[in-house]
Amino acid sequence: MSCAIWDERVALFAGGDLETDEAAAVERHLIRCAACSALAAELRSGLDGLREAHAEPLAAEHYAAVRGRVLAELATPPRQRVVWTWAGAAGLAVAAAAAWVVFGVMRPAAMPVPELPRLVAVAPKVERPAPRERGSNRPFKSRKRIGWQANAPAPLGKVGKVGQTLSSVNRRVEPILTAAVEDSPVRMVQLATADPNVVIYWLFEEKGEER
Amino acid sequence: MKTLALAAVEAGDEPEGRDSTLEAARAGDRAAFDLLMRRHERLVLGTAYRLAGNLEDAQDASQEVFLRLYRNLAKLDTGNLAAWLYRVTVNVCHDARRRRPSTVPVDDAAELAAAGGDPQQRADEAERKALLLRSLRMLSEKERAAVVLRDMEGLSTADVAGVLGSSVGTVRSQISKARLKMRDFVERYSRRRL
Repeated sequence: MSCAIWDERVALFAGGDLETDEAAAVERHLIRCAACSALAAELRSGLDGLREAHAEPLAAEHYAAVRGRVLAELATPPRQRVVWTWAGAAGLAVAAAAAWVVFGVMRPAAMPVPELPRLVAVAPKVERPAPRERGSNRPFKSRKRIGWQANAPAPLGKVGKVGQTLSSVNRRVEPILTAAVEDSPVRMVQLATADPNVVIYWLFEEKGEER
Repeated sequence: MKTLALAAVEAGDEPEGRDSTLEAARAGDRAAFDLLMRRHERLVLGTAYRLAGNLEDAQDASQEVFLRLYRNLAKLDTGNLAAWLYRVTVNVCHDARRRRPSTVPVDDAAELAAAGGDPQQRADEAERKALLLRSLRMLSEKERAAVVLRDMEGLSTADVAGVLGSSVGTVRSQISKARLKMRDFVERYSRRRL
């Protein structure tokens, strides 16, 4: 009967799996303990037997059989893949046809095409204010009243009347427009849509010579 | 870091880091892949045989390992091929056992004892080896894998830990317990025969 507390260390020692100092401790114990020494001898013998058994080669035909099966398997898939590819394509076609039938039948009436926006007003071209003279006490008037040419079928280049009263809706964009006008000769076009709640403001800047 | 044991397994005539056979196999050369299988078949089938316990299951597992090798050729790191093959072999054998549990009883010392013949008369080397291999079946899957890789394939404890995804300490514990179990099995068998 070996010492239970040494068993696992002896097992590792037999396979050469202990660090030097641990192996030295086990060796010292084995000198004193006949049971553990016998255990170590049995374990070593068993490990030698395992290695010898494992070293005996299998018959070549066993290896060849595996190789043959693998190569045969590799030779087979392309055909299967083609079959599966066609099957997949056919499945997709069926699914697409079903979707067309289902959603085609259930599709609501075609959405009405909205009317194109209609030009309703053109803001005048605003000139930059003259720079304030040095020493002048007159306050600088930065805000300019934006005029509109309502329902203007005229070309965009035509300037509307300055000072024309803005509608209540237009008043909300006036500060923004004014700020833009102060920095650059911006012009604005108001476009109405079929939906009375949607009004389009087109801000643009003219550059170059006026036509 | 690759240790000497695995480096020796992978060593060939090719310069380090380059494997023309592997490159050719990657390019779709079936003859090169056949050569690659021949180079590693002892590793794969030998390990699978010890893990599975019978040749039929080992061949099935080896086939699966090589098919996985083929599918993963493009992604494989040449320097770690042996470690990759060991890992996949262990995993495939574990998966196969989970799907199809072994029909061999765990404690089959009695079965061996009843198999006939006087062990003292038949205590030749072949019988002893067969008994030792039989004792592998007494182990848990992880213990068996650790023993096969360490004591039969000769990998270092660190390499075994790398292949099994365990710590070195865990592998040492598995190995020591497994060796003691196997020794106990052999001893019990011998006692019953007396």
